[in-house]
Amino acid sequence: MPGMDINSIKTQIDSEAQGISSAGELEEFRTKYLGRKGILAQLTGTIPSLALEQRSSFGREVNALKDKLLFVIAEKQKTLLPGQKETTFSSFDAGMPGIAQELGHIHPLTRITDEICAIFSRMGFSVVSGPEIETEYNNFTGLNIPLEHPSREAFDTFYLKDYAQMLLRSHTSPVQVRAMKERKPPLAIVVPGRVYRPDAVDASHSFMFYQVEGFLVDKDIKFSDLKGLLEIFAKAVFGNDIKMRFRPHFFPFTEPSAEVDISCIICKGKGCSVCGRKGWLEILGSGMIHPNVFKHVGIDPKKYTGFAFGMGVERIAMLKYGINDIRLFFENDLRFLRQF
Amino acid sequence: MRVTYNWLKDFVEIKIPAKELADKLTMAGLEVVSLEEKAGDFIFEIEITSNRPDWLSVLGVAREVAAITGAKLRVPSFLSARRSGRLNSQANKGSLKIKIENKKDCPLYTARIIKNVKVGPSPDWIRRRLELIGCRSVNNVVDITNYLLYELGEPLHAFDLDKINPEEIIVRRAKPQEKIITIDGEENRLSGEVLVIADKDKTIAAAGVMGGRDTEVSQGTRNILLEAASFDPIVVRRSRQALGKSTESSYRFERGVDSSMVSQASLKAAELIRECCDSEESGFMVSGVSKPKDIKVDLDTAYVSKILGINLAAAKVKHILTRLGFKVKHKSKNILIVGVPSFRQDVRTQVDLVEEVARIFGYELIPSSVPAIKPCVTISERRDLVSAIKNILTGLGANEAITYSLVDRAGLNNLGLKLDFGPIEIMNPLSQEQEILSPTLMLGLGRAVSFNLNQRQEHVAIFEIANIFKGAKEPEEELTLGIALSGAKSFFTGQGLVKDEAGLSNIKGMLEAVFVLLGVAGYEFISQGEERADIYIQKKKIGSMLKLNRQALRSLEIKNRDVFLLEASLDKLFAFARPNKIFTPLPKYPGIARDISFILKEGLSVKDILALLKGKGQPLLREIRVADYYKGSQIPLGYRGLTLACLYSSNERTLTEKEVQPIHDLLCETLTRDFAAKIR
Repeated sequence: MPGMDINSIKTQIDSEAQGISSAGELEEFRTKYLGRKGILAQLTGTIPSLALEQRSSFGREVNALKDKLLFVIAEKQKTLLPGQKETTFSSFDAGMPGIAQELGHIHPLTRITDEICAIFSRMGFSVVSGPEIETEYNNFTGLNIPLEHPSREAFDTFYLKDYAQMLLRSHTSPVQVRAMKERKPPLAIVVPGRVYRPDAVDASHSFMFYQVEGFLVDKDIKFSDLKGLLEIFAKAVFGNDIKMRFRPHFFPFTEPSAEVDISCIICKGKGCSVCGRKGWLEILGSGMIHPNVFKHVGIDPKKYTGFAFGMGVERIAMLKYGINDIRLFFENDLRFLRQF
Repeated sequence: MRVTYNWLKDFVEIKIPAKELADKLTMAGLEVVSLEEKAGDFIFEIEITSNRPDWLSVLGVAREVAAITGAKLRVPSFLSARRSGRLNSQANKGSLKIKIENKKDCPLYTARIIKNVKVGPSPDWIRRRLELIGCRSVNNVVDITNYLLYELGEPLHAFDLDKINPEEIIVRRAKPQEKIITIDGEENRLSGEVLVIADKDKTIAAAGVMGGRDTEVSQGTRNILLEAASFDPIVVRRSRQALGKSTESSYRFERGVDSSMVSQASLKAAELIRECCDSEESGFMVSGVSKPKDIKVDLDTAYVSKILGINLAAAKVKHILTRLGFKVKHKSKNILIVGVPSFRQDVRTQVDLVEEVARIFGYELIPSSVPAIKPCVTISERRDLVSAIKNILTGLGANEAITYSLVDRAGLNNLGLKLDFGPIEIMNPLSQEQEILSPTLMLGLGRAVSFNLNQRQEHVAIFEIANIFKGAKEPEEELTLGIALSGAKSFFTGQGLVKDEAGLSNIKGMLEAVFVLLGVAGYEFISQGEERADIYIQKKKIGSMLKLNRQALRSLEIKNRDVFLLEASLDKLFAFARPNKIFTPLPKYPGIARDISFILKEGLSVKDILALLKGKGQPLLREIRVADYYKGSQIPLGYRGLTLACLYSSNERTLTEKEVQPIHDLLCETLTRDFAAKIR
């Protein structure tokens, strides 16, 4: 389009822009000037045919014209209705990331602990905590665990160096002793917390881990109540389809004692590597509180009975989330933490 | 503990397949952890709880099988009580003397002299059974003692009689400096905690744990001394701990061996040795008491029903207990007198019997009920506050970490923290990695940051809420919040991707958000140099925040990155928390907002300036805050640009520009006059 006057095009742009009143018209206007075969493309196309000395100044003029067009279009766009705006020059692309503060994640052990406590809270239990540094009495003797008895083997314990008979609690059960001394029955309490045992660290052992302990003390609490309550709990955590079984076991602080298994949530009881081909997964220990424990805390075992239970939080978390190595909980790899 | 199906059948008729038996045993409290078919037999591996030493024998398991299947237990004739009495009356024929220094350590010791023994390989049936349960065959004499240990749960030991001084056997505590080389070839230095068997010249065994190498039965042995005894569980436990050797013998003695069967086990061993080794017997010596006390427990069957939540007739209870070997008589209709057999040292009270009844009745047959729970609604405020903080911090993009509370001394020292208390040490750590109860969360968090930077994370924002430990007069634990930031956080804004390099301001902002939500008032951050600030609430120090120095970064193996850490005591913070909000009425009249933009010399405290202006602006200045803060090409070096947003309002009327102007002018004037600010 030789001889085309840039100044007249400018005037033309101004007058045409004034008449635009819809997004459709604006798009038409844009195509006319900036489209693939638009006026600007035609102007640019003439550059090679110009004399060398003219080329650069003409190019500058074309660029200025382009800037003017973009400005006019942007200004015009502002005056049009928002709805129409989006259909033409949308800055929102649904495929692009949204804009928000990225969230952090709660640790899976906290999530499971909270979930367990919430289930019991809804049934009327209070959540209570106790210290991690405990006396030998609260950790053992008060719980009917004699100091020199093989039953203590299960509770290998870290002792403190400069404080006699002080240790890192090897289970949350000392809080039973504390709570039963401080309060009067009826008691319905759950105790989450950190515990320690000198175990060499591997995929299934840790020297520091979490437990949730619970106990119910009142007149006429029976073994059948323990079964009923723990069934409600296990179904709330693992779903209504699971089967449960209570196996006789030995814990010094309960009698009768029971270990509680659920049908394997991976193989549904058929037997797989997670459940060791047994079809059952052990999830908690429980039993009727031993009369000797009541005597230690000053509750009359003739008047009151009760049950207690305890479980490992890591174990439940590993089963629920399909985690196969306990060390992941304490490595704090963000790629792990962000999954929860 | 391993037993085999066929071995059990020696004592009880079993009509159910091995798999079904395994399930029944598991449901009765003898958890079968594996069942293996081998050489025409089945091997049951059973986890035996520490209260049931009687189950550490084929006979004991057979007794349980009889009880749960209803079959009759075939008690071998040599175990009958009458036989036992006769045995002991035949005793003490022989020249050997037995001297027990303390009857508490060793209530009963028997020694049997057997001569002209032909030591050689065991008969096949003994070897096969021992090998099935994982016991290596040694020779016929040793194998027979092992066989009876597994069959009856009675540890026995055979000495080479010709290698000991046959005048006297002494059961005593070890003397200082005394040594023994045990069968495993190790030389053990003994202490007074260890009970030993000795002759007049030397120590020949660590009682109940392991015999000595020099007196063990070997190919050349002709004559033997067979020991069957009863040792105190705690004494054996201490010996075992002192020697660091756990054996099948010590395992059983620690848990309690039935002393009423000691003599019979010895006799049975002699019979087997005669059969298998062509020997002849020449003496049996006994010292101590073999007859344990009779234990009787009154059991109220109503109590059984009350604890279990089922109604069980007295006859049913009696039937179950009788099957387990208890001798039961009626005291009244519902009260039973239960005679406890000598092998049941775990049963001493009523509730012990309740468990026995429940086990055999079957836990699975006890129904489920739902207890009426009387809720004690105590508000666990701390727990709720901790939860709230976790939610705020995750909302701000930080991830919750859990780090070990046991740490190494070196790591702690390298961090270079100044602690105003000593750390608590662990007496029996597994390794140096766990010798200190951590007095800070910063080490664990610093390591977690390092770990994640190594995983090529661009930005790490983590926090932890846990106890830290202080070695004061009493050991103390303090609930603490730790936050760690490092790297640049990138996020989208309307202007595109923005990268925000982490710094102390970011950590401060996170803690301020916590303060606001918890209703903490009167907090201050006081700089201690460029790279550290202490945190106060109402003049009480609750924590500090810092940028790790180069030495600390090096010890954490962090290169080319800055790490910012905060640690604040939640125990202290919670004392100032006022999470219960009180409503302030909304302003009735609109206010007037005015900004002041100015350039200020660096180093002047904005906090102080705001406080001063707030005072000058009364009574109409409701709020004054930093609205913008900038540096850059338009701002001269050593200065910063600031914009303060001022809000003027009144509770009585709508303010006019005219009223506000003089106050606003005063603020500007103060800035220019007192702080040499240049209003822009």
